[in-house]
Amino acid sequence: MTSVRSDSVETVFIVDDDEATRAGVSDLLESAGLRTQQYSSAEEFLEIWNPEIAGCLVLDVRLPGMSGMELQGHLAESGIALPLIIMTAHGDMPMVRKALKAGAVEFLIKPFQDAELLEAVEQAFALDRSRRRDGELLHSIQARAGTLTERERQVMGMVTAGLTNKEIAEKIFLSVVTVKLHRSQVMRKMQAESLADLVKMSEWFNKSRGSAGG
Amino acid sequence: MTASAVNRISQGMFEYALKPCAVALCFVVVALLWTFPLQHVIAYPFVFLFFGAVMGSAWFGGVIAGFIAVVLSSLLITYFFIPPLYSISVTKESQSFLAAFILSAIAISIVSSTRKRAENAVRSARDQLEVQVQVRTAELEESNLEIRESERQLRMLTEAIPQQIWRADLLGRIEYCNQHLRDYIGGSSGALSGEFFFTILHPEDEPIFRHRWESALTSGERFEVQARVRGADGIFRWFLVRSIPQRTESGRIARWYGIHIDIEEQHRTQQTLFRAQEDLSRSGRAISLAEMAASIAHELNQPLTALLTHASACRRWLQAEPANMQRASAAADRIVQETTRAAEVVRRVRSLFSKTDYVRLSTNINALIEEFAGLLRDEAIRRGVSLKLRLTEELPMLHIDPVQIQQVLLNLATNGMEAMTESDGPKILEISTATRRPNEVLISISDSGSGFPEHVDARMFEPFFTTKKEGTGMGLAICRSIIEAHDGQIWVERLDSNTIFCFVLKAGA
Repeated sequence: MTSVRSDSVETVFIVDDDEATRAGVSDLLESAGLRTQQYSSAEEFLEIWNPEIAGCLVLDVRLPGMSGMELQGHLAESGIALPLIIMTAHGDMPMVRKALKAGAVEFLIKPFQDAELLEAVEQAFALDRSRRRDGELLHSIQARAGTLTERERQVMGMVTAGLTNKEIAEKIFLSVVTVKLHRSQVMRKMQAESLADLVKMSEWFNKSRGSAGG
Repeated sequence: MTASAVNRISQGMFEYALKPCAVALCFVVVALLWTFPLQHVIAYPFVFLFFGAVMGSAWFGGVIAGFIAVVLSSLLITYFFIPPLYSISVTKESQSFLAAFILSAIAISIVSSTRKRAENAVRSARDQLEVQVQVRTAELEESNLEIRESERQLRMLTEAIPQQIWRADLLGRIEYCNQHLRDYIGGSSGALSGEFFFTILHPEDEPIFRHRWESALTSGERFEVQARVRGADGIFRWFLVRSIPQRTESGRIARWYGIHIDIEEQHRTQQTLFRAQEDLSRSGRAISLAEMAASIAHELNQPLTALLTHASACRRWLQAEPANMQRASAAADRIVQETTRAAEVVRRVRSLFSKTDYVRLSTNINALIEEFAGLLRDEAIRRGVSLKLRLTEELPMLHIDPVQIQQVLLNLATNGMEAMTESDGPKILEISTATRRPNEVLISISDSGSGFPEHVDARMFEPFFTTKKEGTGMGLAICRSIIEAHDGQIWVERLDSNTIFCFVLKAGA
């Protein structure tokens, strides 16, 4: 069983080619007690990026080299789910729609009010946190599932599919008592408090396997 | 007494005394000498030879000689032939004979001298006539020569003049082409007649050329059109074709004279100029303005974003418990920096639009409009718009920036032509000039297009106002700022379905 990495401090990564804007955004976020890091281009950000980082990305649309929209596409393709806040000086509605559709948390038209940015960052952090919590949960479920024996995994699949102990015993040619024993073992190993809890874990597990397979 | 007077008297003596006396004496003596032998043959006193002498004297010596001959003859006849012979006295019976002789002789003398004078008069008249005829003939020959020479020179001139010249009859049939024209089109004079000329016109210019030429033939007005004419080498060149009718005294058109002036070079220059102008205006109207606006917005947005974020941060640093004075102060420093940067952007934009070149030239507005119409001609043809000028003559000279005023004309004319794009009726763009008050010239551009809705009249000249899909809304705003910089006024009027943009320029401005 693993836990949230203690060193993954939530950080706002600011990518803007204009130093003054970058500094301003950073100053504002720091005044709200947030940690920030600044990058002048998309390429510079990609250099330091690693899957462990937590927080969100505040990105300018108009960048030298890879544009903000291109970076967003690139991150999505790489399966990086870091929440994005996009800034632009152009109120280009098709671009706004496209960015939001591609998963941007918020779209800020420059110049923007401090509350707009802080709310967007807060929202992005919440999203990131739940994203990471989900990831950790999945991780631990996978770890617990790893401790099950073949027979126990078989019983768990049938239990979560809604079969009664008697039905399971008939299907795998075991006594009802043995099935009950396996079942209690599964509940203990998976740290499930109820059948409903186990069903939920099984769904998560199947989903992650399905998505990994697909 | 002067020598000339003496001379005149002596000449008179000879003319009226000596010569008649000598002539009369000669004739009478000859007659006398012939009469002596003859009187022995003829019984009667023979006096006929004396009549001959009188006649001869009067003929050759004049009336005075005649009378002298009469007197001499009478004396000699009396002395020699009338009894008593060899005496001056006359017998009574011979007196009537003598009297008859004298009277007859006088009559003969008068008749003869008169005849002589008449004949002399006739002869001298004939001589004079002959002289006159000769003089006249000489004069005629000379003037004939002059006419031939001037005709030759004229022909040489029309042949040698470096322009293409033709002459046509009243129906427009070509009668003559000069060498240059024949050389250019590569045909004989005959080849140019009839339809041939229309076949060497550029297909795009042919309809308008034909239309104008036919209407000139019917109206009898002078004809002028620019058209591309194909040369013998197959290459089209631009020509200004101009023709004027020659009228008889009764005002009927006798023939047409035409000239083709090669304007290829001018046209090319004009085209280049026009294209440059069009590019300029197009970029000025559509691309640059939009781009510039976006660029200015972006340039300003950056420092504004920084300003707003730093200012917000500054407030937050101050509101914190405890207040972070160091960070607040740093933020304030950045605010100052960014404000300076924003101000710099504004200053740059201002300097970009500020008018540094103030130009005012004394300009003939009609000439400017005519030049402008020349530039607009192709565009008008392309859009199927007929361009009309109605210019009032003798307008005061205006002190204006000709380029800027042409910019205004171009904006208004382009607006007008664009407004007529959808129009089904005749597309007419009319530019006219008039005096409004003394020293004020009114220029108006009228189109027969769909027009603006009336409620936008007031807003039309505002920046960024447009009814066009692709418009930037700067065209009329620029026009207004130019006209106002000239101390003039610009407004819009309506007449039936026509939209009329008017502006006034002051002559004294």
